Amino acid sequence: MAMIKKGTGIAFLVPGLAFLLIMGIFPLIWSLTLAFSKWKAATGVGKTFVGLDNFINIITDDPRFWNSLRFTVLYVMVVVLLELVLGLMLAYILTEKMRFRNFFRILFLLPMAAPAIGVAFIWRMLLNPEAGIVSKIMAAFSINIPGLLTNASTAPYMLMIIDVWEWTPFMFMGLLAAMQAFPPELYDAAAVDGASGWKTFWYITLPLLQPIIITLSLLRVIDSFKLFEIVFGVTSGGPGSSTESLSFYTYTVGFSYFNLGYACALSWVFLVIILAISNVVLNRFRKEA
Amino acid sequence: MKKALFVTLVLLLLFTLSSFVFAAGKTWESQKGEYAGKSITVLVTDPHTMVVQAWKPSWEELTGGKVDIVVVPYASLYDKMMTDFITDTGAYDLICWPSSWSGDIMGGGWVLSLKPFMDDYGYPNWDDVVPAQKNNLMWAGVVYALPYDGDCHLIYYRKDALENKEYQAKFKAKYGYDYNLPPKTWEEVIDVAEFFNNWDWNNDGKNEYGIDFIAQRKTQAQWTLLDIVMQYAAQPGVAPYFNPDTMEPLVNNPGWVEAVTVITKLAKLAPPGILGYGYSENRQAFVSGNAAMSIDWGDIGVMEQSEKEYGSKVKGKLGYGPLPGAKKTFNFKDNKWIEGYNQVNFLDFGGWIYSISKFSKNPEMAYKFGTFMTTPEHSLLDVDGAHGYTGANPWRFSQYKEIAKWVTDGGWGEESAKGYLGAIEKIMSDAKAMSDLRIPGGAEYYDYMDLHLADALAGKATPQDVCDAVYKEWQKITDSYGRDKQLKLYRESLGLPAK
Repeated sequence: MAMIKKGTGIAFLVPGLAFLLIMGIFPLIWSLTLAFSKWKAATGVGKTFVGLDNFINIITDDPRFWNSLRFTVLYVMVVVLLELVLGLMLAYILTEKMRFRNFFRILFLLPMAAPAIGVAFIWRMLLNPEAGIVSKIMAAFSINIPGLLTNASTAPYMLMIIDVWEWTPFMFMGLLAAMQAFPPELYDAAAVDGASGWKTFWYITLPLLQPIIITLSLLRVIDSFKLFEIVFGVTSGGPGSSTESLSFYTYTVGFSYFNLGYACALSWVFLVIILAISNVVLNRFRKEA
Repeated sequence: MKKALFVTLVLLLLFTLSSFVFAAGKTWESQKGEYAGKSITVLVTDPHTMVVQAWKPSWEELTGGKVDIVVVPYASLYDKMMTDFITDTGAYDLICWPSSWSGDIMGGGWVLSLKPFMDDYGYPNWDDVVPAQKNNLMWAGVVYALPYDGDCHLIYYRKDALENKEYQAKFKAKYGYDYNLPPKTWEEVIDVAEFFNNWDWNNDGKNEYGIDFIAQRKTQAQWTLLDIVMQYAAQPGVAPYFNPDTMEPLVNNPGWVEAVTVITKLAKLAPPGILGYGYSENRQAFVSGNAAMSIDWGDIGVMEQSEKEYGSKVKGKLGYGPLPGAKKTFNFKDNKWIEGYNQVNFLDFGGWIYSISKFSKNPEMAYKFGTFMTTPEHSLLDVDGAHGYTGANPWRFSQYKEIAKWVTDGGWGEESAKGYLGAIEKIMSDAKAMSDLRIPGGAEYYDYMDLHLADALAGKATPQDVCDAVYKEWQKITDSYGRDKQLKLYRESLGLPAK
């Protein structure tokens, strides 16, 4: 009887395990084997094993990788911090009782609901140096900054603004949900003790929010590190390579040059970096908690 | 024995005769109902989809077949196409692609040779196709694509500005010489662009600029650079890409550095948003009247003709000419400058062409649809503006001659049509006109050129640094494809004997 039960259990596990193996584990192993190969797929020539060459090239002889990594890290740091601060402010304001509170809550969520590539094209049009509304408004105030997207000094920050516009609602939504779940007795007690609004926020709200802040920040770090659609739709990595993210560079190597071995090596380096950053972020927050 | 021999001969005769009869029935002309219930998928970019859209209904009605169209942006075309090839998907039967990728597409063996189809079905008036265009359809002497678009860059200039006597006198007073119409050298282009930059020379209440050109990353900006490179680093019949003995890139020699210097100077004499000008923005801006000159394929000429469709404010006001030359050119063989006028015509991009995927399930049907679109009668309507701005430019001898059709069908002025077609015919008929780099990895070599050019235009790197960076990347790309193999194919593409 026990054997039959064990067999039934295994039979139930098999489809799930097979799915995981085929869809999850196999591509991972396949891409790892490719990372140690040279494969210019467009030539129609098969792949050859090159050991660690791809990884060595990435580290020692690929300025474009380092440039894209530098841009991506800066981008992630700026956008996640800004989104957290703005999201927190919005959530705090909209937990208070006020007129049109529900309207504003929905309004602030809208950017997140738009598809990323759509957001990219909308902003590309808004920031168009000749037809864009932004340059026209600036011109109306006699501010002449030609080509916010075509200037290597301003383009990275334009992308950051777009990201903040799109993803602040994510922080706002998570933090608002958490705040609404806080027991009101804590705030009543603080009020009885004469705590000011700032002290209540600093000593009650913020510590209570810490676990959700960790989770939301980590999700945003991982997600924004994969920055692709905005770059693809707005600047294509330009001007020059000033807005080329690590994802976009990997995509270019893989799907423009069809250098699939090197692209897989880049992807693995990318994965290791994300894991390392996630680990650092988690540890840091845990220590502070 | 004799009887057996006789029977064999009779059978052979019958077989030969039947082959002739069968072949005689085959024609490139599409037949009524011949593809009922079948379909093909065409992969095409915008605006080339206009041509497919134009001929799809009548061909579907005639043959009973169905044409599905997949439109992708230019920046994604290579990815879509190669992914389909590499994964053996066969999602596309007929593909419209730029011939400058021949090394990868034809050289990679991803598309079918058209020889069997041309032998069986023929092709509508093959002799009418200009030789320069035929060359772009071939790889190692075999035709792999159907012609559809004849490509070369022209210089466009505003006649109301550059032919204005008062402005000419002022220019001479300032620069000490009379400029040519069209400007003959890039040095002259810089002076003329500087003279006409940032003031209201047509009295419309807005300032105009010196020159428009394609400068945005991933939108074909590298061809503007190559227009200049051809004059400073190539000579008629001598290509500027690699040393054909060693496959060492020539991209950081003084000729190339000078070309990058020139294009960065031109960027300062262009509208403020020039780094955001892809081919669409360049064309739209120039026909809206914002600059004195522009560099582009034949498309501006077509867009010039319609205010209603393209907002053209320059109809009848444009002059057309071949690429400007240079006062000196760098000879890589002797490693020194040659003083004196040098002008090289360049077949930028090589034209969009149609190929049949080797994974196509209906190659014959794809061939028939391709020939239907590119007959002399149909293709004329695609290039003369009758179908609007299609992205296709003249590529048949007959298209250069039928001026009256350009006037009646495309809405051109006679003088404009003559000037435009005369300039294009001169370039396309030049036996020494330079072709694009046609070796495997062509798209990758060019993408790195584009990437680093953008750094120069954005002021992030000096021309020398840019050229050195491209040199380094081209070396790496060559090694990754195999130097000897690349050298062999490069020499082949230049018509040089194997080493």
